Order: sequence, then C-alpha cells, then structure tokens
Amino acid sequence: MANSDKTATPVNSMPRSSGQGRALLPIQRVVDLLRMPLLALATAFVLGAVVIFLTSGRLETVGEAYWGLLRGAFLKERGFSESLVAAIPYVFLSLGLAVGFKTGLFNIGVEGQFYMGAIAAAWAGQAIQGVPTIINLPLVLLAGALGGAIWAGIPGYLKAKTGAHEVISTMMMNYVAFRLTEFLISGPLRAQGAASTIQTPRISPGAELWALWDIPARLADPLNALGVGLVLGCLAWLIARAVSRRGQGSGVRGQAAGGKLQTASGDTQYAIRGTSFVVRHSSLIIAAAVALLAFLALPPLTRLWWPFTDRYDRLHLGLVLAVLAAVGVWWLLWKTTVGFELRTVGANPNAARYAGMSITRNVVLGMALSGALAGLAGTVEVVGVSICRCLPLFFSSGYGFDSIAIALLGRNNPFGILASAFLFGAMRNGADLMELSSGVSKYIISLIQALVLLFVAAPAVVRWLYRIKGAARADEAPLTRGWGG
Amino acid sequence: MNAELRLQSRSRSWLGQARRSAFTILLSAFGLAASWALLNLVIGGQCDRKCVEDTLAQTLRVATPIALAAFCGVLCERAGVVDIGIEGKMLMAAMVAYAVNLFGFQILKDAMGLDAAGHLSRWLAVVAAVAVAILLGGLHAIVSIRFKSDQIISGTVINILAIGVTGYMYRSFLAENLPAGPGTFPLAPIPLLAQIPVLGPIFFQQKPLAYIMLLLAVGITWMLFYTQWGLRVRAVGEHPRAADTLGVDVLRTRYINTLVGGAVAGLGGAWFTLEAVDVFSPLMTNGLGFIGLAAMIFGKWNPFGALIGALIFGLGNSVTATISIFRPDIPSQIPQMLPYLLTIIVLTGVVGRAVAPAADGQPYEKG
Repeated sequence: MANSDKTATPVNSMPRSSGQGRALLPIQRVVDLLRMPLLALATAFVLGAVVIFLTSGRLETVGEAYWGLLRGAFLKERGFSESLVAAIPYVFLSLGLAVGFKTGLFNIGVEGQFYMGAIAAAWAGQAIQGVPTIINLPLVLLAGALGGAIWAGIPGYLKAKTGAHEVISTMMMNYVAFRLTEFLISGPLRAQGAASTIQTPRISPGAELWALWDIPARLADPLNALGVGLVLGCLAWLIARAVSRRGQGSGVRGQAAGGKLQTASGDTQYAIRGTSFVVRHSSLIIAAAVALLAFLALPPLTRLWWPFTDRYDRLHLGLVLAVLAAVGVWWLLWKTTVGFELRTVGANPNAARYAGMSITRNVVLGMALSGALAGLAGTVEVVGVSICRCLPLFFSSGYGFDSIAIALLGRNNPFGILASAFLFGAMRNGADLMELSSGVSKYIISLIQALVLLFVAAPAVVRWLYRIKGAARADEAPLTRGWGG
Repeated sequence: MNAELRLQSRSRSWLGQARRSAFTILLSAFGLAASWALLNLVIGGQCDRKCVEDTLAQTLRVATPIALAAFCGVLCERAGVVDIGIEGKMLMAAMVAYAVNLFGFQILKDAMGLDAAGHLSRWLAVVAAVAVAILLGGLHAIVSIRFKSDQIISGTVINILAIGVTGYMYRSFLAENLPAGPGTFPLAPIPLLAQIPVLGPIFFQQKPLAYIMLLLAVGITWMLFYTQWGLRVRAVGEHPRAADTLGVDVLRTRYINTLVGGAVAGLGGAWFTLEAVDVFSPLMTNGLGFIGLAAMIFGKWNPFGALIGALIFGLGNSVTATISIFRPDIPSQIPQMLPYLLTIIVLTGVVGRAVAPAADGQPYEKG
C-alpha cells in the first residue's frame, strides 16, 4: 500500500502550477524544473567521457569524439535538419510511452508497435492507388496508427482482463512483430520486379509525406492546395475556439473553481446565449477565412519564395505532425475527460474504480493510444524518410529503448518530450561523424543514453551525487507498478 | 470450526493436491504426446526415436538459460525486488564470458597445453560472467533499494546499459580479427547414468551449465523453503515490516538476494557463449530473460515450477527447430514466433491465479 499512497492524489498533482508556483518566482520555477534533467545529462556525458578515455587511453579522443558529435549534429551540411529528422520518430514514440506512463502502463513494446505501424503503412501505401494526397495520406497514417494500436491493444486487453503484465507481454509482442514484419517483407508483401533488394513495393505518390523543399511543387496541384487549406482551416478553428472559450469561460470558472472539466462540456452554451451570430460563430468564420486564404494564396506565394531549396534535405512534414501530436497529447491528457480518466487510472486505480471509471476500458485505451503513436512513428519513417518510400528488410530502428529515456527526461510532459527528443535525435545524428572523426564506436551514445535514463529515473542518485537537499518532487514517485497491477 | 469439519477440509485438500499433481502429470504427458504428434504431422512422420531424443535433449539445453533467468527472478522477487534487468545481465555476462574465454585462452595456451588452457579459460569465463552479472545486480540493488527508485525502470536501465556496453565493446574489440578460441564446453556425459536408454541421452549427456541448472533448482528450493534463511527471505518479500519488527534486516536480505540472483543470471548469460555457440553477437539473448520471467510467474515463484515453465518454452523452441530442419520450405520466421506467442498465452492463462510476493516491487522505508 505504500506504493499507492505515494502515487495517489491526482487531484493534488493536477493544479501543480498554482500550488507550487505561488511561493517561487517564475525563473526559480524554471530552474527548479530543469535542474535535475540538466544535471542528469551533464553527469551522463561526463561518465561517457570517462569511458571513452578508459577504452582509448588518450585524453584528446574525448574532445575529438564530443566535438565530432557536435559537428555531426548541428554544424555539418544538413546536420541540423537531419537531427530534426531523427527526432521526429522519437517524438511520436516517447509521446506514446508518456501516455502509457500516465495511465500507469509501461509500454516497453513501442519498438514492435513501430514495426507494425511501418508494415501497415507500407501495405496501405501501395494498396491505395490513384487517390489524391488529401485522402490517401490520412488513410495511410490511419493504417499505421491502427497497426500500432492493435499491436498494443492486445497486451492492454490481456493486462486488463487477466493481469498479464504489460512489460513481458509487449516485450514478447516485440519479438513476434520483428519476425512477422520480416516474414511479410520477404514473403507476401515483397516487391515483384527487378529489384535485388528485399523490400515492400513503393508506396503510391499520393501517400508520400512531403519533404519541405518539395512543397511548392506539390502545392501546384489544386487538390493538394485544397487539402492544405482544409487542414489549416481546421487548425484555425480549433485554436480560435480554444481562445474564445478561454475568454468566455473565465467568468464561469471563477464561480466553480476546480470544476474546469465540467464547464468545458455544457456551461459555455449558457454563457454565450444572446450574443450575435457573428460572435457566436466567430471561430468558424475565422477558420473558413484561413482555409480560403491558404488555398488561394499559398501556391503562388510559395512559388515566389520558399526557404527550403535543398533537394537533398530530408526534413519533411512529419515535423509538423510531431508537434501537432505533442499538442494533441497534451490537450487530450490534461484538458479532456478522457485524459482525466486515463490519468486517474494511472495514479490510483482503486480511486478510479470507486469513482466509476472502467479500468478495462481505460487500460485498453491507454495502451491503444500509446501504440497508435508508436505506429505513427513507423508510418512517418516509411512515408516520409525512407529513400525507397518502402519498408526494406532488416531495417532496424533501435528507437524504442531510447524513447523510454526521452519520455522520462521530458518528465512525460509533451513539451518536455519535444525538447529531449530533439536532443536525442541530435545525438543519434551526430554519432556517425563522431565515429568517423575520432574512431570511438557510436554505441557510446546508447551508453550515455542509458546513463541519462538511470539518472533521470533515479533522481535520488543525482541528488546524492551533488548533495542537493530538499524533498523529492511529487512527480518523482514510482511510475510503474509490480506484477499485481 | 469443529474437529470433524477441519478433518474433512484437510482430507479434501489432500485429495485436491493429489488430484492436482495427477492432473499436472497427465497434462505434461498430453503436452509431450501432442507435440510429438504435431511434429510428425508437420514433418511427415520422419521423427524416429533418435529424433525424439534429440528434440527432448535440445529442450533441456534451451531451457537452461530460461530456467537460470527464472531462478534469478525467483531469488530477487521472493525478497521483494522486481528484476526486469535479467536480460541485460545475461547479455553482459554472455559478452564477458566470450571475451574472457577467448583472450584468457591466448594468454594461457603457451604456459600450459591447449587442452588444459581451454578448460581453465572456460571456467574462468564462467567466473567472470558471474562476477559481471553480480556487478549489474549490485547496480540494480543500489538504485532500487538504497535510492528507492522505480524497480522496473531500474531494470530497464540495466537492459539498455547492457545493450550499449556490449555493443560498444563488440564494435571496439570483438567484431573482427579475432584469434582462434577454445570453443564451447564439450559434452560432459555422466559416466553410468548416460547409458540409461531414453533418459540418458536426454538428461545426462549435457554440458556443465545444464547440470548446474538442475542442481540449482534443487538447491534454491531447499534454501528457500527448508532453511531459516529462506523463511526470512520470504518474510521480507511478503511483509517486510513484520520481518523488520522481528529483527530481520530487510535491506540486507534484499541486497544479498539481488546479488545472488545476479550470479545465477550470470550463469545463464555464460550459457550463450560457452554452451550454445562460440561467437558473441549483439542482442544475442533474444528476449530469453523476459521469457524466464514469464516462466517464473508460470511457476508461481517456485524454482521447480519455474523449471517446468522453462522446459515448456524449451520444448516449443526445440520442436520448432526440428520442424525447420525437416521442412525448410516453411518460412523460418513463422516457427520462430511460436515461443514468444506461447509465452504470452501462458502468461495470460496463469498469471491471474499466480500471486506474487506481497511486497514485490515496493521499496522498503525503514521506520
């Protein structure tokens, strides 16, 4: 029971910004928030330097290695954008892990869900032909997300129904996924034709996720421009609605402090009754205007001037998707009833059950969401990054385990994850040049990442190393639970 | 409760126990027969007695690392420490065993004969594997007992750390230009017992670590359930506060068990490069550590139960291996999936009824 005592009280942990922040200045809060992750990073890099020194025997090698890492990650040609490319799957995968952690589930099988998402997207991408991007790409993304969601949903269901621990079952699903994708790529889904390499067929052009340099050419097609207009219109609508809700909601919220979740559903109607048509539908009007403007103005404007001209730059629209996914996860977890239920089940299943929430439903939902995000990572790799626009045999990612460290380094916060995913993407990208210029094996990166994970997961170690006084933060409590569930 | 009723309930429980063990025996006999039938169905009746014996001997061989991993789990979790990092310990131990075996042999072979050097370096490799696994166990113990961090995360740290370190070492030292090594342990048939018709080839023509595994099953069972030490360990795993009140040093017990468990996992890791194949490759443990955890849960945190669980997985593994020998036309990935699917099925079928030690995975706060 000691466990649940510590992880309990989602009610207390939710309005943390107001509870803890009052005593501290904003700058102190930032320092307080960033201190442990930064110390963990610094310690891991120092220990990595020690290992490099011990195995190479030369002090200069350490400098060469880290300088090579830095150059590879940022300074070399296309280094920065390649770091972003590497960060994109990390964002999706660690968002998936964060959703899992918040639901009290340790989805260690994101790697397998990544594979299943990739294979599902590769299948859907070549199966759907002759459809414009505006329909094709969403369908392929959906297929990838579904592939991951199903692959994670099964262990989730087994966990909820039989208590089979998700760490073991998702790990086993990983190995099944590796064999299954290998079988599918070399057997049923193998591309026919002269290609000597074993891979799936190339996906249809409409399913490709555009590279950024390619956007002006793509927008020349009116259908594509229409699609972009619609997407931007939807975004504008969401933003405008959120902004107007916030403005109107403040009065209501003042009376029912803490009842934020209830006001979001119904009370706004009462607040805006009696206002004029334009005000009531302002967000819709803004959205339509944005969509129309984007549809009409973007194609000629991008043809006139476009910042991305390098045809070998692989940076693609997945970057936008990743940021949107982060915002979406944040919104879902912290601004909706669904997210509240997920977090409650994660923080204290007994309280959740007592409050009438279905553990089964939420565990399956949490796992499926987690898997869907992981599947999207695989999808993006296939439709946005892979050179053959397909899934080759023996494509290995190794993203899965890194993502655990990223999610914890980002404190399971979507925006923290964006930052730490970029950091890990940069390390992954810089590792090649590091190996080339200093002769230090790039596996040192995974060593450093494991150390980061260690120090982030056990903040007590860092506090002990640097003799930091003070109580443990609320969010340093255990994240997972033993076999009992 | 009056005496009559108590007697009745006891007799019923005795009857139930007998029935249950009879059921278990029947079930395993049925499982063996079914897998033999399945095997013959798939490969077209080509499995003669020799092939069956080989398959079963292979079963025990493959079950060795799984069982050792499961024993590590039993030792740790009976004391209340969840150990997800068995896989990492085994991977690290496999690498260290390979390196020590290879390079120890180079140093020793000039001083003593080739044969003697091979023997010595192999046993040195076992010792080194055990030592490095104890080291990793110590890391897990310190992080999860001293610093009270999340034990599953801490185990994951060990897994990732092992992947990083072994990958680094492999790339730096073990990938190419290797001298000839002494190879794996040769078969060590036990003099008289190996002549027994069917059982001999299955149980007594194995390599040393397999025998050690069987001995450990007996040894750990005896230690856990028939000694004072075992009683204390189980008390710490079930109710640390009560154990503490009675003067048992909870933290010390947990440290010791995590370290001993690490040693056992090290033996399991040594199996990969000293008994299975004479080469180290990154990620060669292939999830057997996790399968070992499933075997532990299947065995309800009992060494013998865990051994039976490991044997089931070993059987699945060896049957699929036999199938792929006789039927090369079946894509190899399909049978390769089976052990993992079997693990999930066993886990879901059993785990609801298997109860973990009550304090499993919970850091102990003194005071």
